[in-house]
Amino acid sequence: MTRAANYVVAYEATERGREAIELGIALARLTGAQLRICLVLPQSTSVPAKVPTSAADYEGIIARQAQLWLDEAMEWIPADVVATNHVLWAESTSEGLIEATTTFHSDRIVVGASRTGILRRFTIGSVANALLHASPVPVALSPRGYRASGRISRITCAIGTRPGWEALLDSMVAVSDGLDVDLRFVTLVEVDADAALPSSSDLHLSAVLRYFNERQRTEGAVSTEVAVGATVEAAVENLEWRDDEIAFVGSSRLASPSRIFLGSTANRMLHSLPVPLIVVPNDAV
Amino acid sequence: MASKKATAVQTPGADAGVEFIDATSAKTGLSSKGLSAGTIGLLGATVIGISCIAPAYTLTASLGPTAAAVGTQMPGIFLVGFLPMLLVALGYRELNNAMPDSGTSFTWATRAFGPWLGWLGGWGLIVATVVVLSNLAGVAVDFLYLALAQIFGNPGLADLAGNIPINIFTCLVFMVGACYVSYRGMEATKSVQYWLVGFQLIVLVWFAIAAIVRFADGGAFDATPFSLDWFNPFSVSSFSAFAAGVSLSIFIFWGWDVTLTMNEETKNPKTTPGRAATLTVAIIFALYLLVAIASLMFSGIGAGALGLGNEEISGNVFAALAGPIMGPFAILLSLAVLSSSAASLQSTFVGPARTMLAMGHYKAFPKRFASISPRFKSPGFATIIAGVVAWGFYAVMRVLSNDVLTDTILTLGMMICFYYGVTALACVWYFRREAFSSARSFFLKFLAPLVGGVILAVIFVTTLIDSTSPDYGSGSSIGGLGLVFILGAFLLLAGVILMLVMRAVNPAFFRGETLKRGTSTD
Repeated sequence: MTRAANYVVAYEATERGREAIELGIALARLTGAQLRICLVLPQSTSVPAKVPTSAADYEGIIARQAQLWLDEAMEWIPADVVATNHVLWAESTSEGLIEATTTFHSDRIVVGASRTGILRRFTIGSVANALLHASPVPVALSPRGYRASGRISRITCAIGTRPGWEALLDSMVAVSDGLDVDLRFVTLVEVDADAALPSSSDLHLSAVLRYFNERQRTEGAVSTEVAVGATVEAAVENLEWRDDEIAFVGSSRLASPSRIFLGSTANRMLHSLPVPLIVVPNDAV
Repeated sequence: MASKKATAVQTPGADAGVEFIDATSAKTGLSSKGLSAGTIGLLGATVIGISCIAPAYTLTASLGPTAAAVGTQMPGIFLVGFLPMLLVALGYRELNNAMPDSGTSFTWATRAFGPWLGWLGGWGLIVATVVVLSNLAGVAVDFLYLALAQIFGNPGLADLAGNIPINIFTCLVFMVGACYVSYRGMEATKSVQYWLVGFQLIVLVWFAIAAIVRFADGGAFDATPFSLDWFNPFSVSSFSAFAAGVSLSIFIFWGWDVTLTMNEETKNPKTTPGRAATLTVAIIFALYLLVAIASLMFSGIGAGALGLGNEEISGNVFAALAGPIMGPFAILLSLAVLSSSAASLQSTFVGPARTMLAMGHYKAFPKRFASISPRFKSPGFATIIAGVVAWGFYAVMRVLSNDVLTDTILTLGMMICFYYGVTALACVWYFRREAFSSARSFFLKFLAPLVGGVILAVIFVTTLIDSTSPDYGSGSSIGGLGLVFILGAFLLLAGVILMLVMRAVNPAFFRGETLKRGTSTD
C-alpha cells in the first residue's frame, strides 16, 4: 500500500455527513492521507411522465446547492488536514462513491453509517449498506455522534478463526506501519453463561500474534483479548473501548474477489460497537 | 453560518440578484453527466416516449369523453388533434436547442415574454400536472378494486370504488405512496419500464382484436360497422364539439414531445430524439386508432349500459368493457391500466416538483419551494405540496362532481392547451429577430409554433366558453355554471391572484432581476 494516500469521504448536508467528515479527519491525522470530500447527486433515470424531467436548470440549481453545502463542510476541516471537495453525479450515491475511488485512486471510503431511527446505536444507513456489499476498497463507518479526537490511540482488530484472517492481518501490518498506535487483536466468542471457554480461542490468538509479530513494524503496544458474551453483540459490549480508538474487521468469505461483503458476525458486531469500524476486503494489500 | 438545515440555495453574501444558472458550468465534477450520457438508443428512447404517454391510462380516461363529444368521428379527430401538438413540438425543440440550460415552460416563457407570462406558463404546467396526478390516482383506485373483484371472483369488490369515503381514502394511500417514492428519489429500473410498456401494448392490441372479433360474431353490445367516414373530422356536428374533441386529442398525445428534448441521454443527439419521437407517434397513433375503432364497433356511441356515450362509464371505459370483451382475460387489462397509472403517478410528481423548485429558486414562488432535501437531494417541499394539492383537489372533486374523472380530463385538456400555447407563442416571440433569416428558421421557429399556438388558443377559448353550460362534461354544475368552467376559471384566476400576491411580497423576479429576458440573437 502506498503512503501517498487519500480517502473518499461521503458527504451529505446532514448529521451523518458531519460524522463522516469527522472520521475522515481522525483517519487523516493518523495516516497523513488527504481527504476527497464528495457529494453525490442523483442522476435521474426515471421515465418522465407527460412533462420533461431532465430540466437542465433544475440540475444546475441542485449542483449549486451541493457546492454550497460542500463549502460549509470545508469549514470543519482543521488546518492539519488537506482536503478537496467534489460534486459528483451518479445513478446512486454508492455507485458515485465507488467510481470516485477509481478516479482518485483512493484507499478508503469514509461514510457515516447511522440511521435516523429509534433503533440502537449502530444500525446501518442505506448508503453504508450498499457500500459494504460492493466497495473495492476498505470502508470506514462512522457511528452516530462521532467527533474526531486529537489522535487515535488504539486500533482493535476483530479476528475470526475462519480462513482469510491472514489477509486481514496483512492489512493491519500495512495500516500500522511506522505509526505510534496500540494494537489489540480480539476474538469474539459466543458462549452460554455456564459453558467453558474454548481453548481454541487462545490458541488462535497466539497464532495471530505470532504471524503479526513476524511482520509488524508498529511502534505501539500489541495485545490480545478474548471477548465473551451470550451473543456477539454482548461480547462486543463486554469489551472495554476507548473513546479514541477504531476497529477493523475483515470481509466474509462470501465476498467476491476484491470486494467487501459484511459477514454475519461483523454485521452483528455493528449493532453494539461504539467506535468507528473499518471493513477490509479479503485481498486488500 | 447556515446550519445543516439550510434549505434554499443561499448565495454567500448579499441576497440580491440570483444569477441565471449556467447548467453546463455547474455540472463540472469528475463524473458529470458521463455515467449515462449517450446510453439511450432508438429503442430505449421510443420506450420512454410510449411510457411517458401511458397509453393504457390515457385511452381509458379519454375514449368516453371523446366519443361523447364527436361520436364516431374519433379517428378523424385524433388525426386532427395531433397537428397542433406536432407544430408546437417543433417550436419546442427549437427553444430547447437554443436554450439547453433551461428546462421548463417557466424558464423559456420568462426569457421570451418576461416574468408575468412566464409565471403563468409555469403555473399552467404545474396545474396541469397536479390535475393529472389526481386523475391518475382516481383511475388507479377504480382499477384496483376491479382487479381485486376479478381476482377473487367477487364483483361486489368492484363496487367499493363507488363508495366515496373508501375511494377518497384509497386515493390517499396511492398518493402518499407515490409521493414518498418520489421524495426519496427511488426510480423504477429500465427493465421494469420495458416490461410495462410491452405489457400495455400487448394487452391493448388484444383488447382491440377481441372487440372486433365480438363484433364479427354478432356479440357486440351496439354493433356499429366501420366506415371510412369515421376518419373525416369535419363531419362533426358543431365547432364546439370539434374543439372539445381536439382538446381531448391534445390530452391523449400529451407527453409525446418529451423525447424531442432528451438530447444528452441519447446516443446520437442529432438523430435519435427525432427518430424516436417519430416512431413513438407512429406506434401510438396506430394503437389509438385501432382501439378507438374497435371500441366504437363494439360499443357504439349510445348511452346504453356499455355504450361509449354512457356517462356512468365514460370516465373509465375499460373498467366496464374489459369483462364483456375479454372475458376471463379482463384481469390483464385491469393490471395493464393499474400498472400504467401507478407508474405514471409516481413519475408525474417529478415534473411539477422541479418546476416549483425552479420557480422558488428564481423567487417567483416562496423560497420554501426551492428547498432541497439534504438526504435525498430532491425537491422535498415541492414534492409534498404537489401530493397534498393533488389529493385535496381529487377529494373535493369527488364530492362535487357526478363523474370526477371525466370533468378533470376536460379541465386538463384546457390547461394543457393553455401552457402549450404559451410555450408556442414564447417560441415565436423569442425567435422573432431571426425568424426570417432562412427557410428553415421561418418554418420551424416562426410558422409552425405560430400556427400551433393560434390553434391552441382558439381551442382553449372555445372550450372555456362552452364549458359554462351546465350540461358540459358530466353535467355537474354549481350555480348554473358548468363545473368544468368553474374549475378552469378557478385554477387560472388562482394563478393570477397568487402571482399578484408574490409580486407584492417579493418583487425581485417580477422586475426581471432574477431571470432575465432576452431574444435569441442576444
